[in-house]
Amino acid sequence: MKKNDSDELIIANREIAFQNEEKEDRAAELAIANKELIFQNAEKENRAAELVIANKELAFQNEEKEKRAAELVIANKELIFQNEEKENRAAELVIANKELAFQNKEKEKRAEELIKANKELKNAEDDIRKLNDELEQKVIQRTAQLESVNKELESFSYSVSHDLRAPIRAINGYTRILTEDYAENLDPEGLKILHSIIRNSKKMGELIDDLLAFSKLGRKQVSFSEIEMPYLVNTVREELLFEDQENIPEFEIGELPNAKGDKSLIKQVWINLISNAVKYSKYKVKTKIEIGAYKKDQFIVFYVKDAGAGFDMQYYDKLFGVFQRLHSQEEFEGTGIGLAIVQKIVQRHNGTVWAESVVNEGSCFYFSLPAINY
Amino acid sequence: MSYHNVEILFVEDSQDDAALTIRALKKSGFTNKLHHVIDGAEALDFIYCKGAYADRSHKEFPKLILLDLKMPKVSGLQVLEKIKSDPVFKSIPVVMLTSSNEGPDIEKCFELGANSYIVKPVDSDNFFNAVKEIGLYWIILSQQPH
Repeated sequence: MKKNDSDELIIANREIAFQNEEKEDRAAELAIANKELIFQNAEKENRAAELVIANKELAFQNEEKEKRAAELVIANKELIFQNEEKENRAAELVIANKELAFQNKEKEKRAEELIKANKELKNAEDDIRKLNDELEQKVIQRTAQLESVNKELESFSYSVSHDLRAPIRAINGYTRILTEDYAENLDPEGLKILHSIIRNSKKMGELIDDLLAFSKLGRKQVSFSEIEMPYLVNTVREELLFEDQENIPEFEIGELPNAKGDKSLIKQVWINLISNAVKYSKYKVKTKIEIGAYKKDQFIVFYVKDAGAGFDMQYYDKLFGVFQRLHSQEEFEGTGIGLAIVQKIVQRHNGTVWAESVVNEGSCFYFSLPAINY
Repeated sequence: MSYHNVEILFVEDSQDDAALTIRALKKSGFTNKLHHVIDGAEALDFIYCKGAYADRSHKEFPKLILLDLKMPKVSGLQVLEKIKSDPVFKSIPVVMLTSSNEGPDIEKCFELGANSYIVKPVDSDNFFNAVKEIGLYWIILSQQPH
């Protein structure tokens, strides 16, 4: 036993030595591993530090991101709001668009209507133009017709005066020869008849001349100028011929303003009116003829008043008619053209002529002429 | 009627007017030296000594021509124009006789050189006096160059 034991101890020693060695190895290895661990720890710490930094960084970044996110949220909200606004607007625009579309349609309709109306107007215009042209043509035609009618009338009156006067002159002349050269072959009744023929043919000549004078008036150009009325009336008065020199009426001539008119025509008016006044006063003695004038609006009214035979106002509408007479030839001679001529002349001066009368008391004839200032 | 020593050449187509005019001139003492022709053509033959008047003396001039205006063939106006544009005859007085004062004749006649223009009156008294006075004035009173 003891040797065993020692062996055993040696062996156990060895074993323990080995184990120590092993342990030392292990310790060295541990040391190394420790160092390694330390290093690794250091590394880890480094890393940790780095991580801390990185963490901080991340945290910062996160904060930033959060900030940004918050900003984005706000911006998003804003955008949403804006989008909503835009949608609202879009909706409004859609409505407005519809409205516009509707209005456009209306406008198109209106435009169409206007085009139609325009066409109608154009057609109407064309029609009017056409009508105007036709009218113009008609006026030209009518004027030509009137001119030719006028010429016909002129040649007619020429023929009337020329060709009607000749046979009447022959009747009058031959009858006169009978009364002069063959009187002894005729009894008083026969001679009386011849004188009637002479008187009637003479009268017919006068009628033709009067009718011609009257028809000429319508064609005569009226040339307006200022007429010195007192002078004109006095001239007419002085040129008057009186049948009965013993019974010349008294003339009372008032103030006569000048007037506008054709001097020769107005002279004819005075001649006819004054000689009528004288004629129809011939059965009155110491009678008076009044001539005067007064203003009325833009006209001057002239009048000739006599105290002669007068006429029945019942027949007034015949007074100014051609060849109309209100007295017999035996009572007062005349063809009945004088007052018709007066009326025509005055009317051609844009004036009027009228009369007042009482049978056996006298007549007053008025005519108006444009005053000088108008 | 003789056409020698004629003092009045009377140109008138109307028989009636001619008869009345000639009678009036006769009563006033002018007819013996009057010659009546019935239209303008005969009047020109007489004045120019042609046709029926070829043997009439060129040296005899009428003292007065009474010329009706309206005549067939050659009118009074044409005769007047011919006479008054001829230096040989233009000094012969020409009195125009017409039936009326209508128409543009008066101006035309005086333009052509007529010496007078008479509208024949319808009334025989006036007609007689007119014709007598024409004769008196142009044959007796009025002096003409020779």
